[in-house]
Amino acid sequence: MAVAAADLLLQSVTDPSGWVIHTLNGLFRGFILFMIASGLTIIFGVLGILNLAHGEFYALGALLFVSLASYLTGLVVAPTDPASLLLFGVLVLVAILVAAAVLIPVSAVIETVLVRKIYDRDEVYQLLLTFGLLLVLIDLMKISWGPGTHRPDAVGGESLNQVVDVIPMEEWFGFSYSSYAIFSIFAGAVVFLALLWFFDRTKTGRIVRATAINREMATAIGVSSDRVFTLVFAMGGFFAGLAGAIHSGSAIAASADMGGDALVLSFVVIVVGGLGSIRGAFVGAILVGVLSRWMTWQQPALELAAPFALMVVVLLVRPEGLYGTWGEIE
Amino acid sequence: MLEARSLVKEFGQLRATDDVSVRLGDTENEMVFIVGPNGAGKSTLVNLLTGRLEPDEGAVILHEETAEGTVERDITDMRPDKRVKEGLVRSFQIVHVFEEMTVRENIRTAALSNHGLMRSVWSLRDEHEAVEADVAALLEQFRLKDVADEKAEALPHGDRKLLDVAMSFALDPEYLLLDEPTSGVGAAEKEYVIETIVEASQEQNVTTVTIEHDMDIVKTYADRMIALVEGSVYREGDPNLLETDKDLRRVLLGVSDDE
Amino acid sequence: MSTSDQDDGKRRIRLFKGLYLTPLQLVLAVAGILALFLVPEIEGVSTRLSLTTIHQGILWGMAAVGLNLLLRHTELVSFGHAAFFGAGAYGGAIVVNFLGVDAGLVVLFGGVTLALFFSLLIGWLVAEYRDIYFALLTLAFGQVLFAIALGWGTLGQDEGLFLRAGGSFTGDPPTLFALELGLRQYRILLYYLTIVLLVASLLVMWRLINSPFGNALDAIGQDRTRARFIGIPVKRYVWAAFVVSGVYGGIAGALYGMRRLQVTPEGTLEVFRSGEILFMAILGGFQTLLGPVIGGIVLRWLLENARFVTEHFELLTGLVLIFVVFFMPQGILGSLPKIAAGTRKRARNPGMVGGDLSTLGTMFADAARDAARTIKILLFGVK
Repeated sequence: MAVAAADLLLQSVTDPSGWVIHTLNGLFRGFILFMIASGLTIIFGVLGILNLAHGEFYALGALLFVSLASYLTGLVVAPTDPASLLLFGVLVLVAILVAAAVLIPVSAVIETVLVRKIYDRDEVYQLLLTFGLLLVLIDLMKISWGPGTHRPDAVGGESLNQVVDVIPMEEWFGFSYSSYAIFSIFAGAVVFLALLWFFDRTKTGRIVRATAINREMATAIGVSSDRVFTLVFAMGGFFAGLAGAIHSGSAIAASADMGGDALVLSFVVIVVGGLGSIRGAFVGAILVGVLSRWMTWQQPALELAAPFALMVVVLLVRPEGLYGTWGEIE
Repeated sequence: MLEARSLVKEFGQLRATDDVSVRLGDTENEMVFIVGPNGAGKSTLVNLLTGRLEPDEGAVILHEETAEGTVERDITDMRPDKRVKEGLVRSFQIVHVFEEMTVRENIRTAALSNHGLMRSVWSLRDEHEAVEADVAALLEQFRLKDVADEKAEALPHGDRKLLDVAMSFALDPEYLLLDEPTSGVGAAEKEYVIETIVEASQEQNVTTVTIEHDMDIVKTYADRMIALVEGSVYREGDPNLLETDKDLRRVLLGVSDDE
Repeated sequence: MSTSDQDDGKRRIRLFKGLYLTPLQLVLAVAGILALFLVPEIEGVSTRLSLTTIHQGILWGMAAVGLNLLLRHTELVSFGHAAFFGAGAYGGAIVVNFLGVDAGLVVLFGGVTLALFFSLLIGWLVAEYRDIYFALLTLAFGQVLFAIALGWGTLGQDEGLFLRAGGSFTGDPPTLFALELGLRQYRILLYYLTIVLLVASLLVMWRLINSPFGNALDAIGQDRTRARFIGIPVKRYVWAAFVVSGVYGGIAGALYGMRRLQVTPEGTLEVFRSGEILFMAILGGFQTLLGPVIGGIVLRWLLENARFVTEHFELLTGLVLIFVVFFMPQGILGSLPKIAAGTRKRARNPGMVGGDLSTLGTMFADAARDAARTIKILLFGVK
């Protein structure tokens, strides 16, 4: 371990680009994770339900994006000049937003028809219901898109993320890196700031927080908790779908099975960050993302185990998570 | 004797317990009542003594009579379940009973623990004769016999309070700390609950420390009274102080005798 | 055995101290065990009745019996029980592959030991958590083991390990009681060993949950604060229950590995397996001792047979799950009295079936209306 660490240090001094690239990869992954985990943690904080089907919203967003992006970019020819490139970029953005937006009605309907009925039941039934939903959604996606992996159609022989590689990274910074991933990192940062703004500054955000803290009190002052719950669930669905859409635009392929890993990693993120905390989800996601990408680079065998090791350490040192208030409540 | 020595407990800015020192059980089966306005730190003191909370400063000391005289034992860091084994038992202001068990099963659970049988994995829970005898006696004593096979969650409030106390007595306490055993109990039943507690304490030779808001009860039953105000001991001594001490009356009852 | 009369005047037969059965229950129990023993004989009768399916169902069910100790008594939801099932399976495989031992009982012992180790470790880390946190943490720890098995080359990664002599695909199966057996004989003897262990583990579990220790676990499940303040060392007891529960999973997992002769991360450790174990306990009826076994056999059977009918058996499982949550929360065994009473009533008064159908219809109509209203609000706002 010590030798590996020394190697790493040496390498980063002699050739910083590997270091930077893998950290950027980690940030990209971290922001994707954040978008999934933030929904999970908000839904838990407000509704008190751990939604095991949350990863499937992410997978659905990814698959929807593949279809939408293929259709939309098929309408135009491969971009050659700045104007057509801009049009192409706008089309990709539209595909991302529409794919994520589809998740709003999907998750809202799931909430009103199924999840709402079990708020007062034992948590074992809540877990089982959302687990059942997870199985149903996976198979429905397999039926609709087919098993295996899916990518947006290539445009002019290049994959979608290569087409939008407009930032001359090599020229400016001395190493090549996907511009698409850079854009995605910015998008993730925007989502984080937007969520903070929403919960701190807007009236609706404050109502949601009040409902999370005390459901009965909120009802007493005239807040419709049903509507707040639907809003929160749909919001979670939207961000998970957004994460999926952005993710499948990168070099990573979409598949109906991709939700499971995302779900489990999101658990790690919210345990590390503290259940119910958006800041916690943010820090946790970045930590998990960067750590797992460094591991992929240096110790590939440990990549899968590393996030969980982080989680165990956090639990031992700070059982309530970095920003959390949970844990053994006597 | 159970001693609180300069206990301090803070919750953020609030000093819930501010340098409290009291001695409990100085005399044989003493009946102590703790009084004070809301937020005076009464429950916090009980929580500190029984290990539900850890003090920021100070110590909880048990004085034990041995052949060589009195020995002091510091139990500040002892786990609650260990303190129970030392004879330090409590009830709660909000009733804590095992809701899905019957009254009999509730008391049996406490009695099994008292007889050190909890870790037995190869006997049946209801086959221990000494335990069953304790359970029967307590059901009788607390007049819960008629509802013995009802689930705890189905009992009226007064009976739930009694069950909570009965479970405490099943643990064969030396010091029994009761956090408002009569709260929420109707005026008619109140006396009955307290009478039962006093009777059982006398019989089993228990030092009883009770948090109580009803001053008539305190005046009738207390051997000694401790008044807490804003986290500190304000007065300590004869319950007659409730009649004679004007300052105390003003603090506790909000009435001034001068007017 | 002797007979005794209980309060209700029904004759009961005493199996051993404290366990009394009515004649009907005794007949059912004997018939049930006999039927299990006869499975290898009658599996040819129907293709739907396969020894493999029932054997695996019993093994998963045994893990669910272990999980149910936590679920029913301490009221803790473990969503990572595949960890111990998998540890049992991998423990056995490690004995065969790296110690070169192929005596069946040693393999079983190796599996149980590894499961014991992990349940001690994980149990200590999670014993103080409750509710959803406990579920989340057990799930995550289960995933740690999955990640290790999948990532560590020595354990064969997604290929897993073979429990055959020499660890190869073509090696002989382990010996049982020093007997070198052909594959078919090996499987049947292993099945009988499983039945014996199942009956023994159910009796042990029965004693355990009816003991004062079981009483303490009930107390912890219902009110931890009170449990602590009647002198129960809560953390240690939860830990002990967790370990017992994990060992049950380990025994089942080791036997499962021996049955399959191969262990894979996906087959034994994946999070879906944990979900299935939990589901089995609920499906069979988690307020009963036998329910989880029934749930194990039924779910396994459903999964296997759904595979023949449609490739989308996960969809089917999911729908069954949702159905159970809404309509049969007490599970198969737990709902039997209600179902029996309902059926009897309907046999006498067939008109009630129409009422049932209309209730069901209203329920779906309500759901559809909720869905429509949600969409309307999304599209046109609250007004």
